[in-house]
Amino acid sequence: MNRSEIVHQQFIDRVSARDLPSVAVDDAAYEAASLSACAMRDIFESQIMSRLLDIVSRRLSAKKQSFYTIGSAGHEGNAALAFALRVNDPAFLHYRSGAFAIQRSKQLIGSTPLYDMLLSFTASRDDPISGGRHKVIGSRAAWIPPQTSTIASHLPKAMGAAHALGLYKKIAHRDVGLADDSIVVCSFGDASVNHSTAQGAINTAAWASYQCSPMPILFVCEDNGIGISTHTPKNWVAANFKQRPGIKYFACNGANIIDVVSTAKAAAAYVRTHQKPAFLHLAMVRLMAHAGSDIEASYHSNAEITASEAMDPLLTSAALLIHHNALSAQAIVQRYQQLEQRIERIAAVVCQREKLASASEVMTTIFPPNRATPEKHDMLFKQGKHVPAVTPDQREQIFKKEQRHRDKPLHMAKQINLALADIMLSHNNSLIFGEDIAKKGGVYGVTQGLLEKFGHTRVINTILDEQSILGLAIGLAQCGYLPIAEIQYLAYVHNAEDQIRGEAASLSFFSRGLFTNPMVIRIAGFAYQKGFGGHFHNDNSFNVFRDIPGIIVMAPSNGSDAVQMLRIAVELASRENKVVIFIEPIALYMTMDLHHEGDQLWASHYTEPTPAAEFGFGDIHVTGAGKELCILSYANGFYLSCKAAKILAEMYQVQVRVVDMRWLHPLATHAILDAVSPCKAVLIVDECRRNGSLSEALVTLLVENQYNGGIARINAEDSFIPLGDAAQLVLPSVDSIVEHALTLVPLNDSADYSDKIQRGVSS
Amino acid sequence: MNALTTHTPTTRKSALVICPGRGTYGKDELGYLQRFHSDKSDFIAAMDAQRRDNQQLAISELDSRDKYRLSEHATGENASALIFTCALADYQSINRELYDIVAVTGNSMGWYLALAAGAACDLNTGMHIVNSMGTRMHKEATGGQLLYPLCDDNWQPDVQLKSVLTDTIARLQQLPECEISLSIDLGLMAVLAANQAGIKALLSALPKVQDRYPMVIPHHGAFHSPLMREISYKALQQFSSDMFRAPQIPMIDGRGRIWHQDNFEAQALHHYTFGTQVCESYNFSKAVEVGCKEFAPDCIIILGPGTTLGPPTAQQLIKMQWLNFGSKADFKQRQKEKPFVLSMGIEEQRRMVV
Repeated sequence: MNRSEIVHQQFIDRVSARDLPSVAVDDAAYEAASLSACAMRDIFESQIMSRLLDIVSRRLSAKKQSFYTIGSAGHEGNAALAFALRVNDPAFLHYRSGAFAIQRSKQLIGSTPLYDMLLSFTASRDDPISGGRHKVIGSRAAWIPPQTSTIASHLPKAMGAAHALGLYKKIAHRDVGLADDSIVVCSFGDASVNHSTAQGAINTAAWASYQCSPMPILFVCEDNGIGISTHTPKNWVAANFKQRPGIKYFACNGANIIDVVSTAKAAAAYVRTHQKPAFLHLAMVRLMAHAGSDIEASYHSNAEITASEAMDPLLTSAALLIHHNALSAQAIVQRYQQLEQRIERIAAVVCQREKLASASEVMTTIFPPNRATPEKHDMLFKQGKHVPAVTPDQREQIFKKEQRHRDKPLHMAKQINLALADIMLSHNNSLIFGEDIAKKGGVYGVTQGLLEKFGHTRVINTILDEQSILGLAIGLAQCGYLPIAEIQYLAYVHNAEDQIRGEAASLSFFSRGLFTNPMVIRIAGFAYQKGFGGHFHNDNSFNVFRDIPGIIVMAPSNGSDAVQMLRIAVELASRENKVVIFIEPIALYMTMDLHHEGDQLWASHYTEPTPAAEFGFGDIHVTGAGKELCILSYANGFYLSCKAAKILAEMYQVQVRVVDMRWLHPLATHAILDAVSPCKAVLIVDECRRNGSLSEALVTLLVENQYNGGIARINAEDSFIPLGDAAQLVLPSVDSIVEHALTLVPLNDSADYSDKIQRGVSS
Repeated sequence: MNALTTHTPTTRKSALVICPGRGTYGKDELGYLQRFHSDKSDFIAAMDAQRRDNQQLAISELDSRDKYRLSEHATGENASALIFTCALADYQSINRELYDIVAVTGNSMGWYLALAAGAACDLNTGMHIVNSMGTRMHKEATGGQLLYPLCDDNWQPDVQLKSVLTDTIARLQQLPECEISLSIDLGLMAVLAANQAGIKALLSALPKVQDRYPMVIPHHGAFHSPLMREISYKALQQFSSDMFRAPQIPMIDGRGRIWHQDNFEAQALHHYTFGTQVCESYNFSKAVEVGCKEFAPDCIIILGPGTTLGPPTAQQLIKMQWLNFGSKADFKQRQKEKPFVLSMGIEEQRRMVV
């Protein structure tokens, strides 16, 4: 049985026969909604447009011309929600929001929602939002960022955007078309609200609100009582959200557009006035199964299915329109059938539009577009009236306390600290946030003093929830801020990786670069903490980032590099809208010496920002000019390799060059190949695990580029990092680097090979 | 099954109808009503009666002159009423058994015609609006309209011309005596509105191209610009919103907004018709875009008189690559084989419509 056609015909038949649900006439709600007959017809039109788009999409799907059939049928009450909100209230919507999108588009004169949505359904390259890359509901002009996730992973960024709006009057921000009194609307289903991501985001919003931090967000749970085939326990959503601290609960019948308008208006007014979150619980019904491919009969009886279909909200709308003399039954059927013909006509045209035709065309939007004018261009900014712009003239004042650090070599942690201060000075829309980063200055003191310098609105201690930290970054970025998020330890990012992988990294791809979320994520990572902390504080895998298209991953090995690379990271974000991951090797934070205690060869003076930087994005660092062996490494591996190089030169007269690759994803492949090409052999020193680490990609790179010399690699073992001295057993060491180097390089005299190794290693 | 459900899908061709603006009744159109609309004597008589009531020349009289006179036929007072009568007569000639009109739009003054075609007002009221506004424009409008092309003869967008125009406008707008703005977005033809100083400055500053441009349109004021504020104010006072009723056919205005029977609000339509579109630039290209994308008509019918809306309509279709129209040559070829745009001012295409 084709349920979409049954639902379609049922609507026509029941309206024609005036077999409609009785509608409770709630005069108070009707008055609160203050809906004219014209407005009711307008909302109803959006509802039937959405319904017919679903039905036509199912028909196209049968002809293999539409590729996504999770529709909005049963949820068309969200048109009334859109009616109650403003076009510049950013909307992070779940996938049953067709009617919302259509209704909102009516606030933008000249929009073409039917055509545009059908382009999306049919994966046409002309689809104005995704360019044929996904069936998404979205529009730049209507401030509906496209969402591709079906697991509520858009909630953290919606919460982040709400935090951003709360800062609008206080902190300068790039003008992205939102107003100081805009509020965020974020919708989701009763099933996905159980997801930890959703729970985390709602909890964070409540946490902020509870302590009176502005959080203007309207959470909207469109509760149809079922997630694919699993029923939501009766009253589960209400029981969970009625009494949440910091969040006001509103509920109504989502099938009744008068109820929805009046309740949504009240909820939106509450959020707008109080800058506090509200939870709007709309009772909906799901029609036409979960998606086109979902056979509902496999888990519901026919009686259950028809009972749901009998609750079609369009029938309720028809009853309301007739009751309020807005339209007759005959006119409703006529409108519906005329629209069906119109949408079929549009669909026929849309099916002829071209599709994406090559991999390169698909990939044109992986990297976000460059911004014509850099972030710090004041013309683009809206300045909050309460906080004056921080100008470079104030640098002396800000850096007064740092006088003692100016004339002496510094370790990486302090250099990053000073670099962050300079970045916050020159980018007055930047914010730094993470766990314990404010007063404490972070676990390693990297952000010490920033709170005093820039205040609590720009230096923020977050809740202990990485999904919320990253969601905050995405939301802030979309609203015109430059977020610099800190994840306390590399291991902590794994529970939240989807916020980068599925959300931040994919936004440009699925929105043709119309929406971007430029950011820098600083992560303290890697091992070598001398046995302290165990595996959670010594995580040596960043593979989670290495296959994500469009993002940049970098890791410095020393303080001066860290400063310049952090500045490059910020420029990549502010000028090119990129998502940048900046991994800071914990073990090198405080390292001052290289070969001997007190040599201070790993420390350097902090350099102030200058236009002429020592190196740029993609430049690698090559130390030594030896041609016998090239050691390719990064971060701690580079540090250990520099130590080993000295031993190799002094003990074995082996001249090596050591390369710090700096940029880990994507790799600076040409520069790496140039560096290794004169050398007879290559030793890859990778402090991450042998299985799946960057070392594998490097071997592949060399082989695929016909590198003729010997190749070897040295890695951490395929093990988690244990506690105490045992940690060293599974990590590369200076000794093991020397040992492997000597296996690759023929020695210059007849000395006993193993003897040399023995002496070298033990020296 | 209830009688309401006995719906049969239409086999008629769906059509978007475009109403012409000022400047479409030229010397070639003289005698248009006589040639094509001898069957509509009642309608023409009604229009004539209204003119006579206003002590104005009858439309049929103007149409049957033995000679076209710019000073007579092109003035706002006469041209507007002539064009209205010809176009609405054309509209009535469309064979509704063959064509299902799914939406109407128009260019500039064509918006008033669209109101009557869409039945947001009756024909007499439509004539009243057009005649009053045309007369008012004739007597009170200041400034003028100036044309400048943004493409070559093959409708290839000319970036250089556009940049020269943009730079020139930006420069002249700095002069306190010049008031210049975009009047109409008309495909690849820029239509500018300016006060007399602005027109003069544009004429001397813009490089001469294609022998004719920059071209000042005779007897036109600075339509669709802030210079029309006073006329707009008077029109808002003169006309009542009661003259409007819910349209029977969706109407697309000069911003791309769709007005239809269910979202109709008389006051909003009144405000747009005598306020917004009088004082702000008119986006004909957008109206064509919305008409195509949101109604996907099988064809576009451009009402006569004249054929001047053909190129800007086609240029917008090419810009959208509608039905894969890729160039002027491509469009012309397809028009020969199976025309998508049916211009009632072209006899051959007219025959396919009536």
